Amino acid sequence: MKRQVRSKYLGGARALILHRPHLNVLALARQLRAIGLVVDEAWPELGAQALATDFIFFDADMGYDGQFPWPAGEAPMPMIAMIGSEAPGRIEWSLQIGAHAQLLKPITGSGVYSAVLIARDAFDRQRAQAAEIADLRRRLDGRRAVVRAVMLLMQMGKSEADAYGQLRQMAMSWQISFEDAALRVVARYAAEGGDDQRNRG
Amino acid sequence: MSKASLTGALAAIDAVNADAGLPVYFTSVQRDPCGNADAYGPLCEEILRDSSARHVVGCVTSLSRKEVIPSLEKLDGTLWYPLPYEGFEASDRVIYTHACPNQHLLPLLDWAMPAHGRRVYLTGSNYIWGWEINRLARMTIVEAGGVVLGERYLPIGATDVERMIDEIRVSCPDFVLNSLVGASSYAFLRAYHALSLTDPRFTPERCPMLSCNLTECEFPPLGAAAEGLISAGPYFRGISGWQGQIDFGSSHEAASYGAVTELARLLAHHGPGSEHLPLAQLLAGAGGMVDAGTHHTRLPVIIAQVRNGAFEVIQNRGIVVGDPFLSRDVGTAATPLRVVS
Repeated sequence: MKRQVRSKYLGGARALILHRPHLNVLALARQLRAIGLVVDEAWPELGAQALATDFIFFDADMGYDGQFPWPAGEAPMPMIAMIGSEAPGRIEWSLQIGAHAQLLKPITGSGVYSAVLIARDAFDRQRAQAAEIADLRRRLDGRRAVVRAVMLLMQMGKSEADAYGQLRQMAMSWQISFEDAALRVVARYAAEGGDDQRNRG
Repeated sequence: MSKASLTGALAAIDAVNADAGLPVYFTSVQRDPCGNADAYGPLCEEILRDSSARHVVGCVTSLSRKEVIPSLEKLDGTLWYPLPYEGFEASDRVIYTHACPNQHLLPLLDWAMPAHGRRVYLTGSNYIWGWEINRLARMTIVEAGGVVLGERYLPIGATDVERMIDEIRVSCPDFVLNSLVGASSYAFLRAYHALSLTDPRFTPERCPMLSCNLTECEFPPLGAAAEGLISAGPYFRGISGWQGQIDFGSSHEAASYGAVTELARLLAHHGPGSEHLPLAQLLAGAGGMVDAGTHHTRLPVIIAQVRNGAFEVIQNRGIVVGDPFLSRDVGTAATPLRVVS
């Protein structure tokens, strides 16, 4: 797991600059160290140290697919693009890779601190939204299971109200959610080889 | 304030030029932007382009400092900035010779909360100094278990301070942190002084008025209203030690004096031709008060109160390294300061 940045003010956080040796790297590293970060450099391979870093600055001009050991757009830390050529193709590539913020070359001290904070905020929001979407999807799937479970119970002669009542009873006695109880009912009924309802929604 | 900076810089130039032991001779090139924010960049450019000067001492506000940075970058100059500011900057073109928050605000709160309590009222001007100082103060106070009873701002120059005074009277805080500037600050401090004369709950003993940037420069407009005010800074008049035994009028004067003498020391250290060295090389391995990583300085941190028309030391916290991004676990001699996290 990625180490979390504990200090609100970034003291001791790690930054990795993925860029060939260059004056831009010197200027960026100098500013990051002034802000209080520990700085490493890498090019062209990111190396295993990438997984233990808190921020990645990557070269948008000479960077290429396959430099990152995770699927495009799924970096486990904030990513900041170092952009020289503002060609649409390079910006598109930076976005595909998953840039959360950008710095324009030539890099001076100004803009570095705000890029770090903006990238961290965008990354945190993206991650929170992804978790919320996954939770909503899970609950949506659960609602489908509830409908199927109620229909199965009704086929056994219960009224709709009684079917819901039985599901609620099961959830309480098994100490699981209503949706999970429905999933169990659906799975058990299918396993018992009754009228296979699995393709019905 | 700008006059104090100029006085300090000119005194230091005279001192350097009179020092037979220093192989450095300075000439001054002066430009006065008269406080007009838009004039700072062009005038700084004029100095760097039309003269051989590479080092500029000056600027009072953060706005003016930010205005000259592009000129410094373009024409390879260095600014020595001798005023307290709100931190969160470390330009490779600027040397900061006065205090940043871990050298003024945080020690001040660290002293004030145990001494007076944690119920605080915050004031400020609608400007980066007021906003940032109060943001950091609020965070520090809340983390210490305290409460911010009110936080009010005035536009720069505004003097309608009645609502602030009313709110302070009603909420009765343990102390007030004043980050108003200029005319607003004077009006507010006079009104608060008047309140303290009629209501004993607001005397300096019961509910002191604190600020991070009050110096002797502001005594004349304040008059009797200065009495009892508490401030934090690297120097107060009559306290020798910083920048030798010289008696400066204020810390602004001392900080610009220190900027010029430190520059002279660096040039002498590196020898002939060093006036053309890039700043990073000028600072490398030369020791001294400037931290080569952040360009901030090691400064005394002193908390003092105005008593009988002059600052008296309440607490001297020793030398503290400037930490503009509050990312280093720097302590003070009196009490180790926590990094606010």
